[in-house]
Amino acid sequence: MSSEKAVKKQTKLDKVMTRDEALNWLKIMLLGRAFEENAEELYNLGKTHGTMHLSIGQEAVAVGIRSALKSTDYFFNTHRGHTHFLAWGGELNGLMAEFMGKATGVCHGRGGSMHIADIKKNIIGSNGILGSSTALSLGYGINVQLKKTEQLVLVIFGDGGANEGVVHESMNLAAIWKLPIIFFCENNSFAMSMRFKDAVAIKAISERACAYGMPGITVDGNDVLAVNKAVKDAADYVRAGKGPYLVEAITYRVKGHSRSDRQNYRTREEVKEWISKEKDPIYRFAKLLNLTDEDVEKFGKEAKLEIKKALEFAENSPEPSIENIEEGTYA
Amino acid sequence: MREITYVEALREALRQSMEKDPNVILIGEDIGVYGGSFGVTVGLIDLFGKERVRDTPDSEAALIGACVGAAMSGLRPVGEIMFSDFVVDAMDQITMQAAKTRYMFGAQVTIPTVIRLPGGSGTGAAAQHSECLENWFVHMPGLKVVVPSNPYDAKGLLMASIQDNNPIMFFEHKLLYRTKGDVPEEAYTIPLGKSRMVREGKHITVVAISIMVSKALEAAEILAKEGIEIEIIDPRTLKPLDDAPIFESVVKTGKVLIVHEAVKNSGFGAEIAARIADSPAFFYLDAPIKRLGGMDIPIPYNRYLERKAVPQVEDIVDEVRKLARNEF
Amino acid sequence: MSTPIIMPKFGFNQETSEILEWLKKEGDSIDKGDPVAVVSTEKVSMEVEAPESGLLAGLQYKVGETVNIASVIAYIVKPGEKLEGLAPAPGKPKSEVKENQRANVEENIPSITPVASKLAQELGVDIGTVTGSGPGGRVTREDIEKAASNKSKNSSTGKIPATPAAKRVANESGISLNNVSASGPAGVVLSADVLKTEKVTSSTTKIAKPGGIVPFSGMRKAIALNMQRSYQEIPHITLTYEVDMQAASQLREKVLKNTGKKISFTALIVKAVAWALGRNPMVNSRLETDQIVLLPSINIGIAVALEVGLIVPVLHDANLKNISEINVEVEELTTRSTNNRLRQSDLQGSTFTISNLGMYGADKFTSIINPPEVAILAVGRIRKQFVADEMGQPILRPMASLTLSADHRVLDGVVAARFMTDLRDCLEQPGLMAI
Repeated sequence: MSSEKAVKKQTKLDKVMTRDEALNWLKIMLLGRAFEENAEELYNLGKTHGTMHLSIGQEAVAVGIRSALKSTDYFFNTHRGHTHFLAWGGELNGLMAEFMGKATGVCHGRGGSMHIADIKKNIIGSNGILGSSTALSLGYGINVQLKKTEQLVLVIFGDGGANEGVVHESMNLAAIWKLPIIFFCENNSFAMSMRFKDAVAIKAISERACAYGMPGITVDGNDVLAVNKAVKDAADYVRAGKGPYLVEAITYRVKGHSRSDRQNYRTREEVKEWISKEKDPIYRFAKLLNLTDEDVEKFGKEAKLEIKKALEFAENSPEPSIENIEEGTYA
Repeated sequence: MREITYVEALREALRQSMEKDPNVILIGEDIGVYGGSFGVTVGLIDLFGKERVRDTPDSEAALIGACVGAAMSGLRPVGEIMFSDFVVDAMDQITMQAAKTRYMFGAQVTIPTVIRLPGGSGTGAAAQHSECLENWFVHMPGLKVVVPSNPYDAKGLLMASIQDNNPIMFFEHKLLYRTKGDVPEEAYTIPLGKSRMVREGKHITVVAISIMVSKALEAAEILAKEGIEIEIIDPRTLKPLDDAPIFESVVKTGKVLIVHEAVKNSGFGAEIAARIADSPAFFYLDAPIKRLGGMDIPIPYNRYLERKAVPQVEDIVDEVRKLARNEF
Repeated sequence: MSTPIIMPKFGFNQETSEILEWLKKEGDSIDKGDPVAVVSTEKVSMEVEAPESGLLAGLQYKVGETVNIASVIAYIVKPGEKLEGLAPAPGKPKSEVKENQRANVEENIPSITPVASKLAQELGVDIGTVTGSGPGGRVTREDIEKAASNKSKNSSTGKIPATPAAKRVANESGISLNNVSASGPAGVVLSADVLKTEKVTSSTTKIAKPGGIVPFSGMRKAIALNMQRSYQEIPHITLTYEVDMQAASQLREKVLKNTGKKISFTALIVKAVAWALGRNPMVNSRLETDQIVLLPSINIGIAVALEVGLIVPVLHDANLKNISEINVEVEELTTRSTNNRLRQSDLQGSTFTISNLGMYGADKFTSIINPPEVAILAVGRIRKQFVADEMGQPILRPMASLTLSADHRVLDGVVAARFMTDLRDCLEQPGLMAI
């Protein structure tokens, strides 16, 4: 590209974050992807239990969100949220160990991939029931409202979960009470096998925002800065006490819904298109940083090493004890 | 001591809890100015404002989810489901979220929320507004289930439930709302998981749940005239259940009748019966364990059918007489 | 021509029907298809329709009667037509008509339904023992099925239905359920029934009546004289110990679980006494003129109450037998006693006697020593009582009062106490027997 354009791009990024910060985010995107790829491998080798929901191709959403918010904000993650967990500051070892069901997991092996939470870090869990967390987020919103802090709540749901009844109830309730909640729809174009365009009669989820009386916006979910800006704008609005905000980010789910997904609802060509370097969010972001493909691969290898270490940690960790199996049911 | 109604007792519990602890908030439909469809929250919005007494639209899932989330975040919300039947619209939030989150997250959070549910038949509200669903929630690990049978217990158990750190399903009975009883003015709690010996008697043990406690007492008067003395035990909390006093009573009498309004088939009486049969009390049984419960039908609208569908005083009297005469 | 109305067959296996109701009476005008009667099979009631129009005539059966399928139950006649020889002339009693015309139908109201009769034969039930629940006391199929199941409960498996409480009391008292007359529904034995049985076997109540005479001779007299001598000559001291029988109960449960055998309390006490005697040989002795002989064998006399009086069969070498052996022998001795089949050796050589009135409800009592023995143990009822635990808190325990009567010429209080302490320790910690 021309040096002019290169400078332009650099400036655009500099307005939002320092180069160091940006590099950090890129590394997290690569770490997340490496985690997902490793998860897939473990499954293929028969080393994991249960299922998993991989977010390969959706890394820009994860870092875009977190880069626009603060660690004091509350974050409700989805079942497809390993990278988001890392982006929000969740520990890799704890994530890996929980994924493997070990006692050193962040939920002590009780939750597994779909229920990963780190309450101290304000990651209020992933949720296995789609859309449910929108209702839970209301409670945190009420708390912030009563305590009159500057915090906000960001709750993610997918294009599939967006159609659950509870999401509508929650958005309505948040709007009438003006709760400080960002409803974030991570539209990765598929519920499970159902394409987004077959699941709704509208063009974008954000169209629904006006139905509840809140602002809504749709952005390119594979562009870190676009996501970042949308969330920042939403955060400003929400923190000012004006009420909730709906942000929709369009991205693409590269892998199947879960491991048992035969993916007979789309073609290989389609998927290939989305993992091309033009569309891949990691490469797109790397370009903004003026990094070459080799740089990306180098960082990618580093990420893979970190994953390997985390895997060793998890594999060497003990299973949770049977003796205290009942602990945690009641307080 | 002054006499107040079950509704007033609940209201006092809420008020005193909210006075003591600013984290206690109320969320429900029409609980603000309207005062709740059964009048339990009358006046509370005037005392505590609309930030702490929150009216919601018809959105059980959202309102209960809000209670659960608020509890996770450090508040102590008391949610109200207008008719216990509507709990079905919030089943995910209660069973998949409230009940399980603490465990799934490896005990990183507590969920101190109380969900109040008016239930029961006898008001002609028909099948979708007359349920007794407490047993559904006994069957879900992570929840506690409380069933107060009188004003004194209602206040003490509600205050205790609000202070408990677990999600609690608090089942009130509509026909008990206007009943009166002696209730102390000061704040007090009754421990959860403790049953109460309502009436001692040497012949037959009667375990009665919620409204059946007062029906059993009426039956006791009738039976006493025939020389049959029943011993009535009120579990007060179904989960966790204080079963030791039940076993002791059965050892004493050798005969037991369990009575609840909820459908008999697979109702909580079945659990109590199974526990008795699995306890040392088994060897003191001189008759099969008997249960009375609602018929296996939706609650009918017609008032006579409605009455017939659930156990009444005369049914308790009949069943006890049969046990006393060894007719089984 | 008159048209007969036939009792229809409604079900595949149906053989009979009962008339539940006549919807029309003789002389009524009927249209074809009108229902004229309601009849029942075993389960369902159906309407019989008129095959033709006309007047209803000649009702052959009354309400409540059972009719074979395809029998004629009534007739339709054309107006003005008479039932030649079929319809009863006005004033003629119906019974005459029946005699004339109903060749293919049973004469009497059956006291048992045909189905029930067949079933009774198949299941081997004696109809005479069955009370009918049908109208007029008719025996129905349900009655036969019930009787058959009761019968099989009692005879084929040898199992007697009894409430858990009844079984417990029977077990504790050593009473066989076979000897208990059941007053519960469907022949279930209740605990009250078992408790009644104990009282019935007490010796004099059966034959004693106010104003009657009971003979005082033979065995009764002999026992009485022995008793008198013992009471007059032996200075008795008594020691009562309250024993917690929980461990003993648990041991019995364990044995039951591991071997399927039920050990009686008597057997346990015999074993414990034998052990305690082994450690306290003075209590197992005999006083002679100038010496006290410490006896080499431990033979326990077990007092058994018979109608004619008290008998004490002896279990020899109780210390050399294990609990199962003792259990079996206690049962055998009891049976032989009640069947009057005791052998010579059964009645000789006892060195210590145990009397158990606990089975009969006594809390605590004193026995009279059985000479030439020097002590006798009276065993009271096991009853739940509140005692203090180590923290001083009340707990419910099964307690039994064991009273030793000791010959004070031979046994000092301390010696007797040591024996009783050992006995109590043993019953409360059965494991001690292994040491």
